[in-house]
Amino acid sequence: MSEKSEMSLMLRRRRFLQGAATIGGAAGLSSLGWSSAFAQEPEKPAELIVRAWGGSWMDSLKAGVSDSFTAKTGIAIRHDLTEDNEIQPKVWAAVAQGRVPPIHINWDTTTNATKSALRGVTEDLSDLSNLKNTTDLAKPVGLDGYPIVNTYGYVYVLAYRPEAFPNGAPKSWKDLLDPKYKGRIALYNDGIGFHFPAQVAGGGKLEDIPANMQPAWDFIAKMKEQQPLLGEDPDFTTWFQKGEIDAACTISTNAREAKKNGIDIKWVVPEEGAKFDTDGLWIPKGLPANELYWAKEYINHSLTVEAQQIWLDGLGLPGVVPGVKPPADLVDDPSYPTTEDAFKHLIRVSSKVQVENESEWFSKFKAIMQG
Amino acid sequence: MRAAKSAYPLRWRIMDAMEAFAAFIWPARFGRAIPWLMLAPALLLVGLLVLGLIQIGDASLRTLDTTTFLMSESYTFANYQRAFSESLFAAIAWRSLLGALIVTVITLILAFPYAYVMVRTTSSITRKLLLIALFLPFFIGQVVRAYGWLIILGNQGMVNEALGLVGVAPIRLLYNYWAVLFGLVQYMLPFAVLMLAPALMAIPEELEAAAGSLGAHWVATFRHIVLPLARPGLVGAGLVVVTLSLTDFAMPAILGGGSQDFIANAIYDQFFRTSDQGLGSTLALLLVAVGSLLVGLVFTVFGAGTLAMGRARR
Amino acid sequence: MTAALSKTVILWIFVAAVLVLLSAPTIVILGASFTSGNIITFPPDGFSFKWYAKIAASRDLWQAFLRSVYVSAICTIVAIPVGTLAGIALAKYAIRFEKSVQIYLLLPFTIPLIGSAIGLMLIFGEARILGQLWPVGIACCVINLPFMIWAVTASAASLDPDLELAAASCGAPPLSTFLHVTLPAVLPGVISGALLMFILALNEFLVSLLLTDARIVTLPVQIYNSIRSIITPDLAAISVVFIACAVLAIALLDRLVGLEIFLKSK
Repeated sequence: MSEKSEMSLMLRRRRFLQGAATIGGAAGLSSLGWSSAFAQEPEKPAELIVRAWGGSWMDSLKAGVSDSFTAKTGIAIRHDLTEDNEIQPKVWAAVAQGRVPPIHINWDTTTNATKSALRGVTEDLSDLSNLKNTTDLAKPVGLDGYPIVNTYGYVYVLAYRPEAFPNGAPKSWKDLLDPKYKGRIALYNDGIGFHFPAQVAGGGKLEDIPANMQPAWDFIAKMKEQQPLLGEDPDFTTWFQKGEIDAACTISTNAREAKKNGIDIKWVVPEEGAKFDTDGLWIPKGLPANELYWAKEYINHSLTVEAQQIWLDGLGLPGVVPGVKPPADLVDDPSYPTTEDAFKHLIRVSSKVQVENESEWFSKFKAIMQG
Repeated sequence: MRAAKSAYPLRWRIMDAMEAFAAFIWPARFGRAIPWLMLAPALLLVGLLVLGLIQIGDASLRTLDTTTFLMSESYTFANYQRAFSESLFAAIAWRSLLGALIVTVITLILAFPYAYVMVRTTSSITRKLLLIALFLPFFIGQVVRAYGWLIILGNQGMVNEALGLVGVAPIRLLYNYWAVLFGLVQYMLPFAVLMLAPALMAIPEELEAAAGSLGAHWVATFRHIVLPLARPGLVGAGLVVVTLSLTDFAMPAILGGGSQDFIANAIYDQFFRTSDQGLGSTLALLLVAVGSLLVGLVFTVFGAGTLAMGRARR
Repeated sequence: MTAALSKTVILWIFVAAVLVLLSAPTIVILGASFTSGNIITFPPDGFSFKWYAKIAASRDLWQAFLRSVYVSAICTIVAIPVGTLAGIALAKYAIRFEKSVQIYLLLPFTIPLIGSAIGLMLIFGEARILGQLWPVGIACCVINLPFMIWAVTASAASLDPDLELAAASCGAPPLSTFLHVTLPAVLPGVISGALLMFILALNEFLVSLLLTDARIVTLPVQIYNSIRSIITPDLAAISVVFIACAVLAIALLDRLVGLEIFLKSK
């Protein structure tokens, strides 16, 4: 066969494939319904990249939000499993250098997201249509507009192995100072989640945060004598599973994960209270307009009852849309606050106060623990 | 083909052409520049890191404004002041330095006999197995490897279970300083052996045999012949181990239980947790300075080690 | 005789200790990968191939592995000429400012990996080459380059200067001397250095983490990221597959060039 005829054949085939693609596209469009076809949507990207935590975190996001989004729009979702604090310098550098950021949507802690919002690298999300259906929890505290949308809350509970507490559940964070728990307690390595209850346990007032936190440091210094293990999310699950610890101040999701793997584990909100915080979704600046549009649609979709229900069943955490029901094992659980009464026992500090002082709290905690 | 035998072979012609080309781009009068030309690609590649260091140096002179999370426009030495005044950093720096030195000594003591046996054994199977055992741990990432240690040394691990059989209560073997050093030694061993082996190969076996036949005990032979001759390898291996453990991040993070941070962990915290690139950069630069000083010191005291071997024999 | 025996015994006690130290976690992980439970334990909780089935079904892992091989290949291809030339130069010539040059060439080890990672991310970002794989290979090459240089200089010890001199005095032009005398002498160092570079690049995660994105994620980065949420036995299974590949590669290498080449200089 001559080169020329081969080429024309290839051309013909390519044209045919293109035609087929157009037909396929049209078919996809019709399934979406005429309304969206006439709305003149911006061009769809082939995929959106959503940063997520791995394991059951990503599985639940995929099941609840990503898969249904793909079914609705035809846009594939790729999950970037880089840690939230490790993606941060990547996104910041991209925005500073005027590059397209490596992700479309960041699933982030509200504290971390607030830093990005203050730095001005987040897109405003105030115009999302589903925001009107959300509770107050969705609105970031201390920031203008919606640079981030909070999507659920969580509690830093006191998780414990009932076996190690024969007299029943611990009632106070002070119970952990019992010498028999020496070396058997775990905290986050930056002390996150523990500072505020420590302030109360140390005899201080929450109103004094951040001006006077000496009571918290005193209590943390006492806790240091117990030689606690310090780690991150996966460490807690591992340590509970391997019998390295009896109690931990950790997000209830980690404790629930160990429980799913057959470890006997329970959790409480002690009398001093427990820290309540939120996670959210946000979009970095610097995306092409059409990708920004569809990224916003993704977040909008995450605020539907259907998406929240499946997503948060997996995480075992309370959402921001009325009508989401707690999973069976978490009805009336203190880690799944739904009533005003339940929130009374929880400590919530504005993320602005948190991010402005976090660095200092963090190094104080480190200085005590590494000393 | 037959004709080529009498004629000037093609291969020679090509070689001649290449020689001519080489002589053209690299005339003999450039002779003194030859070593520098050979070094140039490596110097340029490492130059990428130097460019990065310049950026880091710039950041180290700026402070973080926590109301905007931007770095300050003006330069200041505030980060350096913090790095030198806060006792936390002094404690961590001391812990890393001491740790790196202990790890280096233990690693060399363990690696030397291994490298020696690997080089001197007459069995090729043994040599291959020893070599493979060196390379395999690389394929289990440090994190999964640490998980393996948790299974072996954890509170409910195999060692403690074995101790339990003879009536000893579980001992906490992990999550302390020694656990970190232990993990580092395990991580560094293959590097040390691989650096030592070529140096040991360079020692003629006949030399040891001669010493032996003159009645020297093998310990004496080791002390007076093998060790001194292997010094370049020991220095090279020591340098690799000391610099890599000084800057290690994973082992203190995984086996230290969170309270045994090394400098790299403090740098990580500043870059990734508190988003303070200024202080993180400052700590990174100081670590580079300490590491380079250490390297310079070793070069001055022991000579350039492995690097100088070829010339030392001339 | 007794002296020789004591030497053998003492040496082998050390060797055995090192072998246990090196292999214990590998063996545990190997065994744990066959567990039928959801937790990495040893001895494994029942026996099954379910975690292998899980990773076999994952196209992501397979693609990430291929990317890692590509990155390692780039790293090695760059490292071989660069490291060989530098290694020979350092071993053969008396260079002015040699100590400074050596301290400079050790920067990849004295700069903490996090510093290198941030620096390279900024440099590559400025050059608009992020989002591609080859810069990751270059980065892996830079941060491990001292290994390549040293492997070469170490074997240059066996490089007999008289031999080069002899070749030259017989009228061999410089390039021939280099190709036929110098290069063969350092070849074992080049090969072992190249192998080390390849293996280290295949396992590098901290620098790659900042230089890759979700579209071009490499296997160690993917493993590192998934470990950050929960550690499941599929990671053990991946490690075992990785080891199996390595053993195969080593066996192949042994067949082709003979492993002895690492330890025999001529």
